[in-house]
Amino acid sequence: MAAEETLAALVSQYAGTLYRVAFSVLRNPADAEDAVQEAFLRVLRHRETLDEVRDRRVWLIRIVWNVVLDRKRRAKTRPETDDVADLARVLPSDGLSAEELAAAAQHHAHVLACVEKLPAKEREVLMLSAFEELNSVEIASVLEISESSVRSRLFRARNLMAELLEHTRSLHKRSLR
Amino acid sequence: MNDPTQNSFSNRPVAGSGLSSAETTLRLIARLAAPEGLEDRVRARLAAAPRGGRILAWPAALSLDSGWMRSAAAAAIVFVVAGGGWGVYSRVQRPQPARVIVLAPRAPAQGGFASAGAMRTPQTLNGPVVAHPAAAQPVQGKLPAKTAQKPVHRARPTAAGKASGQAATAPAK
Repeated sequence: MAAEETLAALVSQYAGTLYRVAFSVLRNPADAEDAVQEAFLRVLRHRETLDEVRDRRVWLIRIVWNVVLDRKRRAKTRPETDDVADLARVLPSDGLSAEELAAAAQHHAHVLACVEKLPAKEREVLMLSAFEELNSVEIASVLEISESSVRSRLFRARNLMAELLEHTRSLHKRSLR
Repeated sequence: MNDPTQNSFSNRPVAGSGLSSAETTLRLIARLAAPEGLEDRVRARLAAAPRGGRILAWPAALSLDSGWMRSAAAAAIVFVVAGGGWGVYSRVQRPQPARVIVLAPRAPAQGGFASAGAMRTPQTLNGPVVAHPAAAQPVQGKLPAKTAQKPVHRARPTAAGKASGQAATAPAK
């Protein structure tokens, strides 16, 4: 019973974090919630080993990360919220007008489309680096790579992103002329 | 030293405004609030999930904690192993001693090829035909019955073979 109480405490403490991690990859609220539930079900199956886990937060993030990547690999479809209207509905409006919100959503959708074009390794590091609650050591632990690999992948990801955004911007300017 | 609750990349200067806005987008998504009632739904799902350990649990009477059950299980394992071993042992046939086939010494053909000491030679050729069987009859009594009727095999001349061969071919001259 002690393991189940620990599990209940983990749900209260980390469900939100796991949801955000799942949503950052899947970008679909229902899929992200499913992924969180599946992650906790996996924890339930291995609840005897809970005492052996040193850093439960990183351990849980790693589990949900693997669940999410499995799902994405199986689906092989674009995240639904790359659709501008869906993104506008999900992202916070912060007192923006409808037009501003639509423009912001379009911009975010464009950025996310560029992120999807990155190689998988670089994309994963870039996404995880957006989580302020994860430092580089923890990202390395989630991805099961060294910290130096995290840094080099992030460097490459940022360069690639800059190139992609610059390329699309120049295309956009050319089309306006 | 880095604050452990914040990643070390968040305060880095970015290369361009485009990249900065990209990171802003990712951070925006990373900060999204979880939907309301998520924890309750997760707890409900966990409560509904089957507990593998309970389904497969032994009845209390058959628990392996009890001494007699443990002894019975050990005895059953010993019985199965010993029975299996005996089953295999009783089916194994002991190797029989090889049969020795004694062949009669063969008469070598004069001027022919030797068999190089081979134990068996194929009986594909007929031996030489005796021109006058009547003249050969008195000598046949000295020879073994088989060598007189069978075709002559070309065997390597041995001491015994030479003697019998000379005796068999002598009347033909």
